[in-house]
Amino acid sequence: MLANLGTPPVPGAAEGKRLSGQQRRKLAGWLFLTPAILYILFAFGLPIVYNVLLSFENTSPATIADLTAPFAGLANYRFIVDDPTTRTSLVHTFEFTVGSLIGQFIIGFSLALLFTLRFPGRTLARSFVIVPWLLPLIVTGVIFKFMFQLEGGAVNQLLMDVGLVHQPLDWLDDPHLALWTILIANIWLGVPFFTLLLYSALQDVPVDVKEAALMDGAGPWQRLRLIIVPIILPVIEITVLLGFVFTVKVFDLVIALTGGGPANATQLVTTWSYNLSFQEFSFGEGAALNNVLLVLAMICAPLYLLLSRGSLRRSSGEER
Amino acid sequence: MSRLQNSRALRWLCTLAAAAGLVVMLFPIYAVLVGSFESTETLFSGTYYWLPHAPTLDNFRTVFNAQSANVLTSLIVGVGTAVLALVVAVPAAYALAKYRLRVTVVIVSSLLICQIVPSIVLATSLFIIFHWVHLVNTYPGLIIADGTYAIPFAILVLRAFFFSLPNEVLQASRVDGASEWQTFLRIVVPLGRSAVITVAVFAFLNGWGDFIFALTILNGATIVPVTLGIYTYLGNYTTDWGAVMAAAAFAMVPAAVMLVIAQRYIASGLTAGSVVG
Repeated sequence: MLANLGTPPVPGAAEGKRLSGQQRRKLAGWLFLTPAILYILFAFGLPIVYNVLLSFENTSPATIADLTAPFAGLANYRFIVDDPTTRTSLVHTFEFTVGSLIGQFIIGFSLALLFTLRFPGRTLARSFVIVPWLLPLIVTGVIFKFMFQLEGGAVNQLLMDVGLVHQPLDWLDDPHLALWTILIANIWLGVPFFTLLLYSALQDVPVDVKEAALMDGAGPWQRLRLIIVPIILPVIEITVLLGFVFTVKVFDLVIALTGGGPANATQLVTTWSYNLSFQEFSFGEGAALNNVLLVLAMICAPLYLLLSRGSLRRSSGEER
Repeated sequence: MSRLQNSRALRWLCTLAAAAGLVVMLFPIYAVLVGSFESTETLFSGTYYWLPHAPTLDNFRTVFNAQSANVLTSLIVGVGTAVLALVVAVPAAYALAKYRLRVTVVIVSSLLICQIVPSIVLATSLFIIFHWVHLVNTYPGLIIADGTYAIPFAILVLRAFFFSLPNEVLQASRVDGASEWQTFLRIVVPLGRSAVITVAVFAFLNGWGDFIFALTILNGATIVPVTLGIYTYLGNYTTDWGAVMAAAAFAMVPAAVMLVIAQRYIASGLTAGSVVG
């Protein structure tokens, strides 16, 4: 599509006049953008709009083959509001998100601080810490299901070997424990991201600032709280924000580990939405819940755009 | 840092702390690798063995027979996702970095927003839309869906990189009579190859590791990626742990390969995409 772009006979040449350099550049820019614009419209715009339409339709397994179903008014939303499982899933998503962010931040920041110190093996340690982030999520699910199983699981074995518990804990099937299990798995999953981002921010803190603070007699805690954290605050904000976005979306991990059970104890908004649409084939209800989820995830969108405003308008092309 | 940290004892203490952190972070992977070589009897004995107990290749034999075709499927999906991401993202990122277009703000904002959209929201709609355009249960359908992870990230990372291309080089190419397209192909892409490799690696991993779209857009019968294969093992009444472990070990291979060959690209890609994004 782009192949015939810059060679002299561009559109306009037909009228016997060639486009000026500036016009040609503008046209080229637009053509470079075309695939991306089409992709965004098709893969993001269309589904999001269609999801809104779907949430007002009375879908049934028979209507899936068609693009439309009878208008249902607010019935799907009424269902969502009255549905106890939806309420539970919202609470779980909230607890899961807050818990994950706290855990990921504390562990990720500690590791990042550790990596700024010079010690033998730090390069190796830093490169290996990324590994959990690269694994397919379903594999992470498998790993934790294996480690946390009731009999023959590494976690129970360890706890019993050191004498912390006498009976193995049913991490995956006890409704009081299952949410903790998916939380631990998700923290493990997110730590590399926090470590990497915070570490690269810590790298940018000027050494002389830290040394000046040291001269002034500031202890390690004061240096951290009064010097380092304020300097890297923008990165902390964006990291936590992206961590929030990732956690609200979590789906694969929970499906693999618990499938939302036992008795909905680990049902999140994402897994419940999947259940409504793809298990019960109530796509309308699923779409209504999707819209709730979308609004939830979008809470942070204005802040994200604000934090990224510096890069929004930027262009390093030559001035004209 | 040397003045802040002068004692040797402290340094070794740090090594110890890092080692402890690493053990916790990497133990799950160790557990899967060891588990994949254990016999079914060991795995179901009710005791966890910290060290390999009675290693066997049985699980890999089982998985090799059952999953070889699925590995090929995942490779196709991974490569397809990488190709789609490059075709869409590289020119777009260049335009967003080097052309002063009025739409830049709108497009970059939408890309940031796109990264926030949960996949399940897209999957529900795409399932029905794809039904209608006959993309359900096809490679192109799955690859288009998997691109939703890769493409916004790819454009933002590449754009951040293209900012740093010197304008003089582009200018010189134009003065030499090269068209915009030739300049892009012969100057921009080669100069940006480290960033291009980064996004290709990530897009491949996205396609390879995708589960949610494989679960929703495929019917699980004709096209079965490894992730779906693993899920099917898990879903059985009693999990065949040996096979699951071996399949999971298999599914980790690309990540391991990428870590070795593309280490520096991964770290820089991760940070560039998120902070500059």
